[in-house]
Amino acid sequence: MTTNLASNRPDAETLKAFENDLNSIRDQTMKKVGEKDARYIRKVIRVQRSSDIVGRISLVLGFFNPLFWLAGVALLALSKILDNMEIGHNVMHGQYDWMNDPHINSRKFDWDIWGDGASWKRYHNHEHHTYTNIIGKDRDYGYGLLRLSDDITWRPKNRFQFITYTLLSSFFQFGIAYHEVAGERIFAGKRKENSILPISREELKHSFFAKIKKQVFKEYLFFPLLAALISWPMFFAVLAGNMLAEFIRNWWTASVIFCGHFTEDAQTFDEAECENESRGEWYYRQILGSSNFEGSRGFHILTGHLSCQIEHHLYPDVPAHHYLDMAKEVKVVCAKYGIPYNTGSFGQQYWTVVKRVVKYSFPTEEEQGLPAN
Amino acid sequence: MNALIQASLPQKGWTWFSQALTQHSSFSGYLQPLIQMLVPLWTTDAYRAQIIEIRDEMADMYTLVLKPQTGLIDRQWPTFVAGQFIELMVEKDGARTLRCFSISSSPAYYDRTGFIELSIRIQQQGRITPWIRQQLARGSLVNISAAQGDFVLPEEMIYSQKPEKLLFIAGGSGITPFRSMLQQQALTQKTQNKQSAELDIHLLYYSRNNQQIVFQQEFEQLQKEYPSITITFVDSEQDGFICAEHLQAYCSDFLQRTAFICGPSPMIQQTRKVLAEQGIEKEKINFEFFGAAPIEIENSEQGIVHFQASEKIVISKKDKTSTLLEQAEEQGLSPVSGCRIGVCHQCICKKKSGVVFNTRTQTYSDTGSEEIQLCISVAQGDVVLDL
Repeated sequence: MTTNLASNRPDAETLKAFENDLNSIRDQTMKKVGEKDARYIRKVIRVQRSSDIVGRISLVLGFFNPLFWLAGVALLALSKILDNMEIGHNVMHGQYDWMNDPHINSRKFDWDIWGDGASWKRYHNHEHHTYTNIIGKDRDYGYGLLRLSDDITWRPKNRFQFITYTLLSSFFQFGIAYHEVAGERIFAGKRKENSILPISREELKHSFFAKIKKQVFKEYLFFPLLAALISWPMFFAVLAGNMLAEFIRNWWTASVIFCGHFTEDAQTFDEAECENESRGEWYYRQILGSSNFEGSRGFHILTGHLSCQIEHHLYPDVPAHHYLDMAKEVKVVCAKYGIPYNTGSFGQQYWTVVKRVVKYSFPTEEEQGLPAN
Repeated sequence: MNALIQASLPQKGWTWFSQALTQHSSFSGYLQPLIQMLVPLWTTDAYRAQIIEIRDEMADMYTLVLKPQTGLIDRQWPTFVAGQFIELMVEKDGARTLRCFSISSSPAYYDRTGFIELSIRIQQQGRITPWIRQQLARGSLVNISAAQGDFVLPEEMIYSQKPEKLLFIAGGSGITPFRSMLQQQALTQKTQNKQSAELDIHLLYYSRNNQQIVFQQEFEQLQKEYPSITITFVDSEQDGFICAEHLQAYCSDFLQRTAFICGPSPMIQQTRKVLAEQGIEKEKINFEFFGAAPIEIENSEQGIVHFQASEKIVISKKDKTSTLLEQAEEQGLSPVSGCRIGVCHQCICKKKSGVVFNTRTQTYSDTGSEEIQLCISVAQGDVVLDL
């Protein structure tokens, strides 16, 4: 059920104090942002570019020893995960725009995944981050495929949604690409009367196909063909390696993202209640709708610090590697005002996501037509 | 957009290929962070230059002597015309900051030595000009752009057979492009086999007082050696700002001369007014607003917002607090926008110059070129946007 914000929210005065505390965490952090952050992101980019290049060479060396092939897959998956999560996602949120570097810039950056960066930015940064977990407004809630709350009417197809979930995670890059251009609206003609698309359908379609063409060319044609120059069976070895690396990345990103908003205690909201929210109320809703998970430093980097989903939603444009430090303070502030802060180990959180997917694949008792008494 | 249309088919194909493989429009853009490990400061969009010397001209003015790098990995820095400026890019606290400076030495000097000079006045409240002086040392590397700007002597004038008559009017550090032009005239006259007539140059050089005259000795020497060059030093403290009487007194044939003006903006406005009143045609008055706009946020009552790409100009009152996004939309422009509260970063636009106030972070921006979020930026004084 959507959370009844009006009756649960702390009073206006408390929320104002809460807002000030959260703002001051932001201000303190922004004072520290500078040369260290520039060095950090450049270092991550170097690791990513190196693993991309070495990984692709290593795949071809699989011709001599299959262990090279395995290492190649691992390096390529690492490159894609770093590119998508710690670099692309964060750069496109504008976290590094202050560097004024033309290649590390939210306006220009595009990532190594099927989804076109500009389309993703248009949708994700605006709709998902403004209307987080509002049923009917945040299209990321279940991606239009999964029923993750009883606010959404049960349909027979939901019975198989665990399979849908498995498929979505496996082909996540296609799901994202389709979803960010509102594919069901621009391709299937499901037109909302009042829908306002920021650019024309044709442009959306064009950017959708243009990006996928490039990615297909690179992963399924160009690099496999290059390897085929050595010996033709290498075409299939490299093709399979590229696909496997994408598959690993797809499952990783899907799982990280699902743990951010679809854990057991992540709450949902009703559109009407969120109109004219104050900044404090907005902060409050962002915290209730998000969940964190814990792990080692390297693990956090691989999630693009989306392991700190709460902090990411409070401060989407603060360089993400500060989230870990900010989380300690946000937790204290939440405790001070009695606001729930949802965190746990990755395993725990992921388990509650799986439970949620299964739970809502069944209709509620009312929907089953059981007597209401 | 235009560049894309004009690009030839192979070029477009190459760009597509690079985008497909690297998500960057050039391979070098993708590889830049790796290349920089071997070649510090190497970038796809600028040239590298080494500091050869830093020379203090006065208490608040210094000259950087730069040597644009050449070699296998560095593209050749395209040369320049006397009067043009370059962007100097430095990284301060991780952020790339750009400042425009006129080249104060001549192309002829560059041909001989491979050096260019930038003479920089330290802005008292500035963030960058004092910092550069402290931070850079002999041997440091910086990034520079190609030379730009059209505050130059027209070619037909330089190669004219009859002696062209020019009037240069400089205010303070606005002397730098003129130093380049004078040095060019001096160096080429020594060597050239007189294909064209000498330019007859008269420079009126206004300075704050008689202790604040940059390049004074050098200019006095020039004047002695070259009869075609006349220089009048005017002490503003004693003689006041430019007026018709000054022109009559110092350069009585000014009506026959083509005028070039460079200095702070009030000085330029004033000079243009005086010259126009004296009946000099508009076409014969050239001018360049010099260096960074003065930092006088408190005093500016109104500012001009210039939407450069769409050639629109808005005058905004200081007490009016509409954002740049609203102002652009009022002008019928439709920049991409999203949340309108500074979260989504879709309305980012390149600010070419000027100070804006960020309503979200409650801070003032830098004066130079950088990216800003239109929906939370309010112009403070004159702002030029690439929109």
